[in-house]
Formats: sequence, structure tokens, C-alpha cells
Amino acid sequence: MLRLTGLRKTYGRIVAVDGLDLEVCAGEMFGLLGPNGAGKSTTVSLAIGLLEPDAGRVEIVGFGSPADPAVRARIGVAPQALAIYDDLSAEENLAFFGRLQGLTGRALVERVRWALDFVGLVPRARDRVSTYSGGMKRRLNLAVAVIHDPPLLLLDEPTVGVDPQSRNAIFENILALKRQGRTIVYTTHYMEEAERLCDRVGILDQGKLLALDTVPRLVASHGGKSVLIVARDGEEDRIEADDPVAELARLGPANLRGFRMERPDLEKVFLNLTGRHLRD
Amino acid sequence: MGTILAMMVKDLKLLARDRMGSIFTFIFPLVMAIFFGTIFSGTGPASRALTLALVDEDGTPESRAFADTLGASPEFQIEPMTREAAREAVRLGRRTAYVALPPGFGEARRRMFYGEPPEIEVGLDPSREAEGGMIQGLLTRHLSQQMQELFGRGDRMEAWIEETRASLDTARGLPAERRATIQRFFGELGRFQASIRDSGAGADSGRAGGGWQPARFRTADIARVRRGPRNAYDVSFPQGVMWAVLSTAYGFALSLVMERTRGTLVRLRMAPISRGQILLGKAGGCLFTIVTVSTVLLLIGALVFNVRPNSWGLLAAAVLSSAIGFVGIMMLISVMGRSQRGVSGLGWAAMMAMSMTGGAMVPLFVMPPWMQTASQISPVRWGIIAIEGAIWRDFTVQQMLLPCAILVAIGVVGFAVGVRVFRWTESEA
Repeated sequence: MLRLTGLRKTYGRIVAVDGLDLEVCAGEMFGLLGPNGAGKSTTVSLAIGLLEPDAGRVEIVGFGSPADPAVRARIGVAPQALAIYDDLSAEENLAFFGRLQGLTGRALVERVRWALDFVGLVPRARDRVSTYSGGMKRRLNLAVAVIHDPPLLLLDEPTVGVDPQSRNAIFENILALKRQGRTIVYTTHYMEEAERLCDRVGILDQGKLLALDTVPRLVASHGGKSVLIVARDGEEDRIEADDPVAELARLGPANLRGFRMERPDLEKVFLNLTGRHLRD
Repeated sequence: MGTILAMMVKDLKLLARDRMGSIFTFIFPLVMAIFFGTIFSGTGPASRALTLALVDEDGTPESRAFADTLGASPEFQIEPMTREAAREAVRLGRRTAYVALPPGFGEARRRMFYGEPPEIEVGLDPSREAEGGMIQGLLTRHLSQQMQELFGRGDRMEAWIEETRASLDTARGLPAERRATIQRFFGELGRFQASIRDSGAGADSGRAGGGWQPARFRTADIARVRRGPRNAYDVSFPQGVMWAVLSTAYGFALSLVMERTRGTLVRLRMAPISRGQILLGKAGGCLFTIVTVSTVLLLIGALVFNVRPNSWGLLAAAVLSSAIGFVGIMMLISVMGRSQRGVSGLGWAAMMAMSMTGGAMVPLFVMPPWMQTASQISPVRWGIIAIEGAIWRDFTVQQMLLPCAILVAIGVVGFAVGVRVFRWTESEA
């Protein structure tokens, strides 16, 4: 559905994206995981044709470059910054952006109604956005991205700064979009989100794609061993083990006061790949 | 076209919901136009009349009729008072003067050729000699008008003659010879008046054909060649319009930058429309707002402050040219800085410079010659010249071409440069 080939983008001396090769399949939910400044938003901007790459190319497979307005119409974007008008209502925002996408008349009215219902904003549809909570604004940001029913969605950190309840609501919306068969590219620096939502995850750091696979495979190949932490005689020991259960059996119950286990996760994968934590 | 229209409507909604923006775009320029128009007019239109306190100590039908005449006069603003209150009002400067009709005023008015004439007391500050002379002149005119009415109506004239002859009989201190002479005069005058009535000329019992009039005036309308504005509002309203135009252009320039900084520009660019269409939408909103606000201000000027253009057609051309010119300025302001704060600061400075040099603060015609020459670099000057040209400078179509062409050229060049230089992403900025 989306193919990035040898993509490179620099700002002066800063290399934002460095030789990125990536292909996202139709119907897939693809996560781009990386810390702030890794190049995720630049990659999104390149993918939707807002930025010209210094090298490489972007292709919506079967349709062409997103630099073409007709191709862009097949993409929906929820930018990291809330790209909505505070002094318009949710209904007016949706109607305006729907019109820009070529929707008119009955089709526009129905899509606006659908989008409001989809993100649960019908009761506040005619209130000005400036009166909304952060979570409601995020949901509207997502609704505007899908107003024209695009098959490809790029969601750039869509849960930044929202409360847990709104975050769950947004997750439900995104999973519903996935069930509808849309292709979704999801950027985040929250590993839990990538683990929970994404079919495949690409780990990005300093503009480079360090690894790309399903979460279990990434963990298996880059996460390292599980760590068994046992408490004996007032001391705690950390023991790396391929099979923590077998290791626990080997240690036996003598003097064992307690134990816990740390399984490798995407955080560990990132740490192993870069020597830094995701939130550094 | 539909998308450009949608963007225009969106911008107009946003402007209408932005209270501060609306104040700076419309209310502030209107207040400026009215304020400067009023202070340069000296006083408001209603206060052109002389303010007088009227003291009627006579209380006769004649004194009341005279008071009514003065009250109906456009030259005076009359307020009845007691003598003490009237003196105090003049002393404190609340009234220009007082006019007192002392006891005996009515009786003296009834007789004409004997006794003392009616007395009127005018009280005012001795330093206001000019106003004193004007007041006395106007009072004399109103007294004469009453006489003129009396002599012009046969029925009243005859009644007055009868009353006067009767009162002559009882008049004290009048020498017998003089009394007889006046009686003869009124006798002849009564017979003369009766002859007019009997001859049929008095069929109209009101204004008898032979009724006396000092003169009959005919007026011929000769429009004087006018040089300069009719009133101060002719100057202040074009200035107010240019303030509105500048505020609108500045507001739209900022809104364009805010589209970028707040991220909505990303969405606009995701729509299947070109960059040119996005900017045309913004330009269309700006153009429409400038034309609308200018039109409303000028209509208020015309309906309330007597700002009457010599040519509505030329005025429309001036407003449209100004709008086009300042759409270009809007685009240039939007690329003046790299950040919203930068554009805000530099844009404001540019607006101030344009308005100061262009005549939006100080009228062009009161500027020294070198300043008038320097003002030619300011688009505001050409906007004001064009609007004034249609209102009071008596521009012909040919004369209007120059400012309008300059404004349109500024608009086209400014828009082209702005489109070329505009930064579409924050990273570019």
C-alpha cells in the first residue's frame, strides 16, 4: 500500500531521515516506534507528500506519488499537532475539511454524522472546539482524518497528552478502523501502544530504521534473555535465563524468599539496539 | 472554486467569532473616523447653534410668541430659565448668553409709532463681542420677521390698526398734535387696507394681494466650485477605511501564519487542491472582508455623517483597488518573519510605517511638501487618495486610474512574491 524507497531528508546538517526503506501492506497496522526526534514525523510528512525528499521516493502502490493531489485524496492524516480550528464546532470542522476533500450535499452530511458518531462527539457536535477537553480534541483530530473515507491512514502520535480514558477510546477507534480494512501507519514513542495495536513495528532512531518485524520476533531477536530476580537471605540476585522456569527449578526452594521475572519487551529491544531508553 | 469558497467562508466565520479581531477590523476604525471627524469639525453637528438661556419676565402672548419663534430658529438652542439661573449658566460657560424679555415687552410690541420700543436684554461675557453682535443681529431679524408677517396679512393688519387707534386714545404723555397725526396716519392706513380688501384682492383673507412686504426674494441655485472636503468626516472616513483595510490585511496575514504553526495548513495541503488554491482561498476571504468592511464604514459615513461621494462608481473602484492592493500586502506581511511572533511584530511595524507615511494618521493635505512626496511609497497613501478622489477630490475617471493602477499592481506583485516566498512547513520556517 505504501512504499518508501531510499528516503533521505536533511535540515542543514541534521539528517532527519537517512536512507529509509519500508513497505506497508494493505490492511496492515504498522507502527513506527522511536524516541522524540527520531524522524517519525518527518517520515510521515514525506509519506504524505508534504515534504520533498532529498533522495528516494514515496509511492502509494498502484496510484503513484502523494505529490499528486488525486493520490493524496486517498490518504488521511492525524497530525501530532491538533490540526483543527478552535473557534469552529466539531461539525463545522468536519464539514469544512470534508468539503475540501470534495464531499458535498447529502454525502457530506452523512460522512459528518458518521465521523461524529464514530468518535463519540455527537452530544458536543455544535460546541466550539475551544471548549473541548484534550481527549475530545484528539478524537476530533482523528475524525477529521477519516472524514473522506481514505484507505490509508497516517496517525502521528495520536494519543499525546490525553488521559487514560480518552486514550482507550482512541485505541478502540483505531482498532475499529483496522477492522474496516484500512491500512494504518501509527507513530508513537509509547512501546505499550505499539505492542497492543501494531501488526509490525519499525524501530527508528536518528533517522535510521534499526529493525522491523512483528513484536514477538523483534523481542525474540533483539530483546535478549528474560531476567529472573530471586530474593534469598535478604539479597536479590538477577539471573538471565533462556528458560526462567527451568532456572527457578534448578535453584530449588532452599532459602528462597521470593522471585519475579522481567520478560524482554520493546523497551529492551530499543535499549539493546541503541544503548538508550525510548524516553531518553 | 467550491474549495476556495469553502476556505473563504471558514475564514469569515473565524473572523466573526474572534471578538478582538472584529474590534480591530471594524469597531476601532469606525471610532477613529468618528472621533477625528468630530474633533476636527470643532464641535458636533447639533452644537452649531448658539446656546441661549431665555428669561420671559413679561409673560404676554407677544413675549411667548417671540420665545416660540426663537425656539424654532435653527440658529439658537433655547432653554427657558429664571434670571438668576440664566446669569449663572452664562457665568459658568454653560450657555453662550441669556436673552431676557422684561415686563412691558408685549405692550411695546403692540404699539409702533409712539412710546418706547420693546426692550430685550442680552447678557454675555464682554470678551465675546462677536457672538454678542451675532445674537443681536439674529434677534433683530426675528423681530422684523414678525412685523413682516403682520404687514403681510390683511386681516391681522386691520385688527392691529383698530387696536392701535383705540390705544392711542388712552396713551399718556403723548402730545395732542402728535396723537392727531398718528390717528390720521392709521385712519388712512385702515382705509387703504379696506380698499384692498374691497377690491377683491383680499379674497384670500390671509395674504392680501396688496399686503406689505419689505421685498420678495428669489433664490437661484449656483453651486460654488468646492475646493477641499465638505466636512471633517470627508477626511476622517477615508482614513478610517484604511485603518480597517490595514487591520484586515494584518489579521489575515497572521491567520495564514497560524495555519502553519497550529498545523491546520497540513490538513489543507492534504486536500486534493493546489498550494495556489489554498492561498487564493485566504486571499479571497481577505478581499471579501476588506470590501465588506469598507462598504459598511462608507455607508455609515454617508447616512450618518454626510460623507457623500461625488461618484459611487469611482468609490467602488477605489475600494476594490484598495482591497486588491492590500491582499498583496497581506501576503507580504505573512512572509515577513519566520515565526508567528516575528510576523506579528514586523507586520505591526510595517502597518504603522505605512499608515504614518500614507496619511492614515495625519491627513495628507496637512503634511509638509517633502512628506507628501515621501508618502508616495506608502500603499496607504494611494488607497486614501483613491477614496478621497471619489468623495471630495472630484477625480475624473482618468485621474482615478493612477492610484487604482498602483494599488492593483501592488496587489499582484505582493501576492506573487508572497506565494513564492511563503513557507509551507514549520521546518522550512
